[in-house]
Order: sequence, then C-alpha cells, then structure tokens
Amino acid sequence: MAVYKRGYQRYQGPITSYWTRFMVLPRFAWRRMFQQRLVPLLMVIAMIWPLLCAIFIYLTNHAELLKGFSKQFQSFISINGNFFLVFMIVQADFALFLAALTGPGLIAPDLANNALPLYFSRPLRRSDYAFARLATLFVLISLVTWVPGILLFGMQVGMAGSDWLHGNWRLGFGVVAGFAIWGLLVSLVAMASSAYTKMKAVSGGLVLGFFFIMGGLSGMVNVIFRVTWGNALSPQWASRRIWCAMLGVDPNEGPGVAACALVLLSFMLLLAIVIERKLRPIEVIT
Amino acid sequence: MIPQTVEFDEVSKFYGEVLGVNHVSLSIPPGITSLVGPNGAGKTTLMNLMTGLIHPDDGSIRMRGLSPRDPENLMRITGYATQYDASPRWATGFNFISTSLLLFGYSRAEAEEKAWRALQQLRLTEAAHRKIAAYSKGMRQRIRLAQAIAHEPEILVLDEPLNGLDPLVRAETIALFHQWAAQGRHVVLSSHVLQEVDVISDQIVLISNGMVVAEGKIRNVREEIHERPSQFIVRCRNASRVASVLFKEDHITEVRLNEDRMGLLVMTRDREQFSRAISRIALDGFGIDAVIPADENVDALYEYLIGEGR
Repeated sequence: MAVYKRGYQRYQGPITSYWTRFMVLPRFAWRRMFQQRLVPLLMVIAMIWPLLCAIFIYLTNHAELLKGFSKQFQSFISINGNFFLVFMIVQADFALFLAALTGPGLIAPDLANNALPLYFSRPLRRSDYAFARLATLFVLISLVTWVPGILLFGMQVGMAGSDWLHGNWRLGFGVVAGFAIWGLLVSLVAMASSAYTKMKAVSGGLVLGFFFIMGGLSGMVNVIFRVTWGNALSPQWASRRIWCAMLGVDPNEGPGVAACALVLLSFMLLLAIVIERKLRPIEVIT
Repeated sequence: MIPQTVEFDEVSKFYGEVLGVNHVSLSIPPGITSLVGPNGAGKTTLMNLMTGLIHPDDGSIRMRGLSPRDPENLMRITGYATQYDASPRWATGFNFISTSLLLFGYSRAEAEEKAWRALQQLRLTEAAHRKIAAYSKGMRQRIRLAQAIAHEPEILVLDEPLNGLDPLVRAETIALFHQWAAQGRHVVLSSHVLQEVDVISDQIVLISNGMVVAEGKIRNVREEIHERPSQFIVRCRNASRVASVLFKEDHITEVRLNEDRMGLLVMTRDREQFSRAISRIALDGFGIDAVIPADENVDALYEYLIGEGR
C-alpha cells in the first residue's frame, strides 16, 4: 500500500512565506469591508479633522499669516501636547465608530455560518486566525489614528525644524504609542463582541455599549462613593490619562497612570479570554 | 519511512459530561473507509478528532505519522469537508477555492490552476465565476468537496459527501473516490445511505454510542458475527430437491423456498461447511446457477450490530 508506489506524489514545491499566508485573511477582509459604502464614507469623514489640524499647523508656522491677531492668541495656538491630545481625542472616537461598523463582520458571520472548521481545515492555527482578524481591524483603525497623527507630527517637524523635534520628540512617540493602546483595546472589544454574538447589528451595538456603559459606571462609582478612582473604570478616561502622561499634558483629577494602565491591561486580558473561549472550531453545547 | 495509516489509540472525547467517543482504537489503512452509525454515534466527532478541530481528552491520534495538534503540517496532507454548508455566499466558486489555496502557501498562479482543476473534477467549471449564493444545493455540496480536494491531499475526510448530489454527479464522485483510493490515498467518509456505503467502501467502521462496534472489510466483519447465521441466496432449477439435500446438513438452520421455485434462502451457522456442501450439490448435477451472500453488506451488519441494540 505504499503511497508513492501508487501514483500519488505529496506536494514538494515551494510555498510562500508565513506572512504572505497570514495576510490572505486581512486582505480579503479589507476588500469586503470597503465594499460597504459606510466604511469608505466614515474613513473620509475621519480625515476632516486631521486636515483641519494640518491647516492649523501650517498657520502656526507662518507668523506672517497671524499678524492681525493678538499676541495672546498667537501664543495660544502653538503646537504642543495639548494640540495632539485634542487631535487624539477626536480621532479616537472615529476609531471607535469604525470598529463598531466593521468589527462585527469579522467573526460573527464565521460563527453563524459554522465557517470556522473551514478555516481550521487549512494550515492555520486558532491564534493565526485571531491575530489575522485583530490585524484587520488594527490596521484599519491605524489609518484614522496614528498614521495621520504621525503625518501631522512629521509636517510640524518639517516646518518647525530640528530644534522643535529635539524638544518635542515625545509627542510623536505619544501619538503612536497612545493610539496603539487605543487601537488594540478597541479592536479587542470589537472582536470579543463579534465572537460573543452571532448577529452583526447586536455586535456593533455592543462595541459602542461597552464604552458608554463603562463610562457611565465609572461616573456612578465616583458619585456614590464620592471618589475619583472610578474614572479608571472608563476605558476612554484611562486611555486619556495615559496619553496625557505620554504627551506631557497636565491630567484631570483621578487615578494615576499605573492604575489606568493596570485597568486597561485587565480589560484586554478579559477580552482576550472571551475571544479564546468563543473562538472554537466546534461549538460544544453541554 | 512515513507510516501509511490513520491510527487511533484508546481515544476518548467527552463534551462536558456527554460522551463523544470512548476508548476508540483504530488502524485505518489507505483506501475508502466509511464511518457508519446512527445519529449521535460519534462519526463527526471522530472526523473532527482526525482533523484536529477538537482534541482527545485521552489517547493519541496519528494521521500518517502526523499529530492533529500540528495543523501547519497535517492540513497540508489532509482535506476536510464538514457537514456544514459554510462556503461564503458572496464569493464566486473560483475565488473561494483559489483564495483558500493561498492559505496553503501556493503562489497565486498555482492556486488558480489547482482551483480550476478541482472545479473541473467536480463539474463546476461553468458555474466557477458565479457567486456561491446563486448555487443550487447540489452545487454547494460540490464546492464543499472541491475545497477539500483542491490541494490534492493524501487524506480526505468527508462528512456526508454525497448528500444532495444528483445521480450522475453522485456516480462521478464515487468514481473519484475510487480513483483517489487507487492512488493510495485515504478517503474517510460518513454516510447514512447504507447501500451506497456497501458499493463504495473498502472497509467500514461501525460506531454506536461513541464506541467502535466493528471495523474492517465488510466480509471479515460479517464472518466475526458467529451468533447470527449467515444467509445465502441460491439460484437453481430444482429448488425443492436442493432444499431437501441441504436440510440434511447439521449447520443449516433454515431454508426458505422462493415463490418461483427457482431459488432458496439458506441460513447456515458455518460458511465453510455450506460452501463445501453447495459444491457437492453442484457436482451432483443439481444445476446451481448462483450463490449470493444475502447479508454480507453494511445494511445487515448495521442491523445485527447496531439495530438490535437500539
């Protein structure tokens, strides 16, 4: 019964690299996402604020255009940590809406159609599938968060010169690292809700609901216990607290960076556990 | 040397407190092997275990020497068509197959060539560029098979592969199974249509309540069932006389005459003695036209080994 004596030959040819294979899933997911009209529309809308910020950077670097304004106003509109913090707060909301719009289509349809066995009948590990889905969303979110952020930073460096860069390099780092944390959190929430509910609409609502509910809960804790540490329960607040530290901006009253980082890390861990538990090729109901 | 068998060694799988399969030991050689058993017997669990979609709580599995815990290598030589119609409705048949081949690491050109070949084998070339949403049930079943065979695996695991196929495609698909088996590949399939299993299979695995009741070639399995007399149909010109001669034999338990008086249904406790007796009768000039085993088929085995226990 030797197989080679009976005409069958195992494939011996070259195979593409791991990353080429890994990128197959995100590539096709992006293609599907951009077939929805709302996704490109939201992406375009999300670029309006960075465009306005770019105009702002241009103005601040051209003193002759600001001659008519008062000295106080001229000193107010400088490119600093506050500028990038406001930029990040606005773009973070776009990232959230983008995740709520695209995230549910990542895993929910695969679960609803019993398609996971189809994926896992390929040379693909469960972790590869999960990371591919995470990368799909993270890259999409990056396009409206740290990518325009770093472009704005680069534009400012180009106009203000190396002296400005020398004194403000942490702003560039803060934008990228701060958005990376936010992008990861939002992507994990979207993936977990997509894995938890098989219905896309419910899943999208869950993504927004998670942030609104946690925000509301943190406010309730603060009021009931007359404390400020409840703010750490709000993922937005906790993220902004970390951004403030990264950008060198004075934070609002509340828990410190370490506490916020710990809370965000706990959220991410819990979300990863939900994804791990729900992302099984065979759904077992006991 | 690479082992050429699919081996289960004392494999048990429980879903919480529910039994999936229990202490299953199997050695499946290349060829067509059918998993037969009632609903919930554990057929799909065995297939999922083979392909690493679930892992055993106890025991070990080797698929031609590879562990199902190593999908990176195992799935390159294994094709699985699950019972679910999970093909993406928005994709065309060709796109679906060629894209899934990219996951195996083939270049785009090679993936497209292999996809086309698989679609040809399943007679889907005309519908290749149509969306799967527009496919009939039978076509979706064929695309399910096409994705399993496209990378030319040496182990094919097919859950109910013939469901929904029209007679012509069904016959062609069975011919494909035989062709693959003849090349030395494993074709492991499950089916509820016992007559079909009979025609297709080189060997069978009978499962009931998560346990393997019997495995091997149909004839060998039948020979192991000593408590049930074997049945033979004897076609002859003088049936009453043949019946009277056979009745004198100790091992014969029952003889029934056909209404047309041209045949008998004989039940014997000893197949070899029956064989010798019938040869003697033929040599004595009784005009035996044919002797056909009547219960050497999956239907009978199912009835004897599983049906009675239900």
